[in-house]
Order: sequence, then C-alpha cells, then structure tokens
Amino acid sequence: MSASSSPLAQVLQRADVWRGRLAQVSVEGEPSGFDVLDAELPGGGWPRGALTELLVSQQGVGELSLLLPALARLSQTGWVALIAPSHLPHAAAWAGAGIALEHLWLVRANDAMDAAWATEQVLASGAFAAVLSWLPKANAYALRRLQLAAEGQRSLAFVMRPTHAASSSSPAPLRLTLEAGQADDVGYLIARLIKRRGPLQHQPLRLMVKRPLPLARLNKKRITHLSLSRRQPTMTDVLLK
Amino acid sequence: MLWLALYFPRLAIEIYPPQSPCVAVEKDRICALDTAAAEAGIEHGMRLASALGLSPGLIVYQRDIVRETQALDALACWAGNFTPQVSVVSPDSLLLEIGGCLRLFGGLPALHRQVLAGCAEQGWSVQAAVAPTPLAAYWLALAGEDAMVQTSHAIATVLAPLPIEVLKFNDNEINRLSSFGVRELGDVFRLPRDGLARRFGPQLPTLLARALGEIPDPRPWFVFPECFAQRIELPAPVDNTQALFFVARRLVLALSGWLSARASGIDTCRLVLRHHDQTTTEVTLKMAGYTRDAKRIERILRERLDRLQLAAPVETCVLIADAAQALPGSTDSLFGEVAVEALAPLIERLRARLGEDKVGGLAAVADYRPECATAMQMQGRACMPHSHDRQRPLWLLPQARTLPEVNGRPHHAGPLQLLAGPERIESGWWDEDEIHDTHSACGDVRRDYFVALSSRGEWMWIYRDGAGWHWQGIFS
Repeated sequence: MSASSSPLAQVLQRADVWRGRLAQVSVEGEPSGFDVLDAELPGGGWPRGALTELLVSQQGVGELSLLLPALARLSQTGWVALIAPSHLPHAAAWAGAGIALEHLWLVRANDAMDAAWATEQVLASGAFAAVLSWLPKANAYALRRLQLAAEGQRSLAFVMRPTHAASSSSPAPLRLTLEAGQADDVGYLIARLIKRRGPLQHQPLRLMVKRPLPLARLNKKRITHLSLSRRQPTMTDVLLK
Repeated sequence: MLWLALYFPRLAIEIYPPQSPCVAVEKDRICALDTAAAEAGIEHGMRLASALGLSPGLIVYQRDIVRETQALDALACWAGNFTPQVSVVSPDSLLLEIGGCLRLFGGLPALHRQVLAGCAEQGWSVQAAVAPTPLAAYWLALAGEDAMVQTSHAIATVLAPLPIEVLKFNDNEINRLSSFGVRELGDVFRLPRDGLARRFGPQLPTLLARALGEIPDPRPWFVFPECFAQRIELPAPVDNTQALFFVARRLVLALSGWLSARASGIDTCRLVLRHHDQTTTEVTLKMAGYTRDAKRIERILRERLDRLQLAAPVETCVLIADAAQALPGSTDSLFGEVAVEALAPLIERLRARLGEDKVGGLAAVADYRPECATAMQMQGRACMPHSHDRQRPLWLLPQARTLPEVNGRPHHAGPLQLLAGPERIESGWWDEDEIHDTHSACGDVRRDYFVALSSRGEWMWIYRDGAGWHWQGIFS
C-alpha cells in the first residue's frame, strides 16, 4: 500500500488539518552533538537558562558522555562547574574528553542542603557556561528555586537525579530518563523525553554515545567473551604470582 | 579645588552603641547629646546635674578622646574610598578634597549622596558642606548649612549669615566681638582688617582671608598607615555575633577605603576578637583573589561570623591587614568574557560556607596509579590530552570496591563481561613506606585493569590484584 493511499495520509494532506510540531522556542539551544536528540529538543539543543533534569538509576551507562560534546565545546571559552558529584573525577579522562581543565570547577558539598545552596549560587551568578549538579534528594521546592536562579541566565543547567524521581513533579522544563540499551541496543544510550516544551514525544531515542571501545569490537567481544573470561584469570594469576 | 567638609557633631556618643537618651560629658559639662536628650531640653555646655534633673533616665558617657581619635582615623581611612586627599580636623571633622574625583563618581550631587549614605550606613550623624576653600566648607558644616558652593566669588555671600561661633574662638573673644555688635560673619567681613588685627591679633584677618580664598590655606594630609590595624573598643562586652558584625563592618569599610587610597588589594585579613579574660579569637577572612571591595569582604565576614561560636563575650575587635598588594583599577572587558576575577566573589562565598578545600579545580598528575593521578587545586590547571592515552573512566570511586568472584569471573549484579584488558599498572614502590603517614600515598600497586560491562549496562573499570577483583572506575 503506498503512503498517499492510506486513510491517515489522506487526512494529513488536507489543508485544514494542523499537526502539532515542536513549539518555536525563541532561545536557541546549545547543540548536544547528537542530531537525533537535537531534532527533538525545543530550540535544537540543550536549553539555556532553564533546568534540564537527567534521570539515571545506574551511573556508567553513558549519561555524562551524552553531555561531553557540549561541555567540551563550552569549556574552551566558558566556565563549567560540577557540584556535589558522588564520585571523584579522573582529571586525565576529563582532559582526554576535550574538557579544558583550567575552566572546570569542582564543588563538593557536605550535605544535600549545601549542594542545593551551592547550585543556586552558581546558577544565579550567571558566570558559568554549564553547571552539572548531583541532587539525588532535591525536592520540588529546591528545584523551583534552582529554576528561578537559572532563568534569565545563559548557562546550561543539568540536574542529575535517580529514575524514581520521574514520577514526582518538577519545575524543570526538560526532563529525560537515561538507561542502557539491552539486547540489540547494547552499547547505546536510550533516552526518553518525559517532559519538554511542546508536544509529548514517546518514542525512545537510541543515542550512540562515546564508549571505551567501539561498538563493532563490542559485538565481536560478546561472542568471544566466554573464551576471554576463561583465559584471563589464569593469565593474571600467573603475572601476579 | 573643591572641599567637602564632614562634621560629626555626635562623634562623642556615636562611638558607643545606640542608646537613647544619652549625652557625653567633659569636665562636668555636656559636650554632645542625641535627639532625645535635646528634646528633653538639654543643651550644650549645660552642667551634668541640671541635665540629670531634666531627664533622670539619661545615659551619661565620659568623653573619651582616644576612642574618638580612633573613630575619626577609621573614618579618614573610609574616606579614602572617595579621594586620597583627606585632612583630619581634630577633634571631630574631616576635609575631603574632591575637585579631582567628581567625574569618577558621576558629579557633585552623586558623590555628595554617596558620602552621606556611607556615613548613615555606619551609624554616624554628619553635617556636610562643599566650598572652594577648606575653611569655608568647614564653617558651613559646623553651622549645619547643607550648602554646595562651587565658585570663589559666592563664598562671602554664603558665609555672611553664619554665627561668629563657627570661628571657634574662646568665650572671651566671642564676647568682645559681640560687644561691637558683631553677630554674624558678614558683620566681621565689613570691619576693616587692620583694625581687627590690632584688636584680636593677626590671626583673625588671616582666617578670613583663607576662608575667602584670598591667600592659600595649606592642610596637612592624612597619612594612610603602612599596615592597616584598626581597633574598636566595645563599651560593653558583646556576646552575639550579629552585634559584632555591625561593629566589624565599620572596620571593613575603613579597610576598603584605606586600600582604595593606597591603590592596593588584600587576599586575606584577620579579625581579632579580644575577650574580657585577655584570651583572643582570631577569624581569618580569605578572599579568592586580591580585592578592595567592601561588599565582598563583608559577605565573607558575615558567613564566618554566622558560623562562629563565641567562647566568651568580646571586648575589643581589631581588624588587621598586613599583606596588601598593589592592585590597579580594573577595566571592563570588551567582549564580555568572564575572567577569573569576576568569578572570585562567588568562589570565595562558596569557600566561606563549604570550606576552603571543597571548591577548586582539577589538575592531572603524572602518576600511573589512578588514585594518585588527579589533584584538587585552588584553580584548575590546563592539561594537554594525550591522544595515545588509553581509555580512562571519568569517575573513580573514592574507595575501590571489592567484587565477588564466581566461577572465575567477577560479579556485580550478575557476571561481568570483560571487554578490554588486561592492562598492567605496576608502580609506586617509592611511597610504600609512607602509606600510613600521608593520605596521598597509596603504595606499591600491581594491578591488571579491565573494561567490564555489567548486565545492567554499566561500564566499569575493574582490576585484579593479589587480593581479588576490585571495582575502581565508572565510564559515565
């Protein structure tokens, strides 16, 4: 059946049918480096002057690699802040990913309240090109304060929260859940836009974020991993003894 | 030249914390009084006994010239915010030469407003006047005339209605002048000068000529001290930090003026609080960069005082800044880029609340052991990425976590797939002995690293050593 003959296609061709598209956002977004994602983000990229919530349950699925293209570009001329990350950054890896270390600031907080306070101060200053904040315990009130602080600035503001926060309301205009691809999608990052300005988008996005080894090699390894795992421990045992 | 005279009529009582009604007495006579005391009918020069009769609840301070001088010096330092040419007229006035700095502050009315607002903020009552000669400005301020005279030929007209008391002659001379029928300065101007010189000595005609700008009136400039150490003696011990902040603020404003006048900045200063038992508490205020901005120093002071637990009430408060560095004026950037100087106020605010070591940048260290390869510094340091470097994870766990081994394979929520490796890292024999002494040492390590993928899709960096499998990094 050709497309023009399907009933749906015929309806869509009528002049009086209006299809909802992405709302035209006056602020131009910062390109994320992933065309599939940029096409779905209002403004064509990560929004400036508004909170973006990234909901991840397990770290290590590539959630930071999703931001790295934008961060690497912004860090060349502007400041980037990491606030209250749960782990220690490995300087060489950040430099290797193209982040200008001389423009990177790390803020460690003593508790959740300090982390939210520091994020608000940093956002309100407007001096940073991008702010990443790990706020697993933030409530809607704290997020609203952050959203107010971010408004009117040109910073990208990312808040990292666990996936179960997806069910609670949030003032952030853009929210994404991120998870690792399974089965055929292993090595990909699956992003779902659970909230954005404009019509809902239910289709999950398959993003090829940078991984320690290329996907082609990964698929080969998957087939041979049994032999690898049999071989490796014996070899290390020999080396260590 | 243009002079701004600041006369502090209540200096003697305003060096104490505000209480009302109050008076200061010198040799049993009232020398300063506040509004409430004036409303009760108390006047200058009245005997203390009569004053107490009019207002029994009167708070009486003995005049303390030493404290007044300290306060006036602090005010002179603060005036350095506006002009480096400040002259102190003892015991209670300042003369600021402002002719050269009007443009910087947006004209005379704007500067005048800023000076008065600054005095009010610190809690000083002030009478201010502007005139082309220092003496004319001083007399106008003494008389409470809020005049702004900018041309020399207008001086005589403006001074004419002032009472002759502004001359600060003794009672005897004032009485003699009054006996000629002289009530106002205008009357004195009309008298022949040589006659006045014969009757009152050459001093009076000289004063008049100086006030009218006919002869020069050189003034000794206030010398901004080499090191800033201003103290405020609290009249009563203070045990809450809020009251302490009010007092210390005056010192910070003086410090900022002192720095402006010397074109310097500081990155650290000390607030020393002396308790009544002669012990001291020292609060060090650290800035992220050299500054002379009172607002910045104040914000840090507030953060520090808010968290300070006073062991005992404070009697004296001293602000010391002894490491000032030359700091030229700043220029705005042309293209709006944000320099580290612009970031400094934010960084130091974060540091004041979270702790000095909690805010900083990263620097890569040439060490193969991952836990030693990153240093947290006061500011990040550029690092050339090496393209030949192997993949390294963005995050390291604070402590490597032991993973169980099942059937010869490491487990973390199921068996892990080993995707790349082994990569041998063997290094660090040199600090094996220091491992218990310093935190930075991590000793001799011999590890085989692998990139692993968990069943939940987490990319992990794990290693195997003599003790088994460990999880150290996350490829986020």
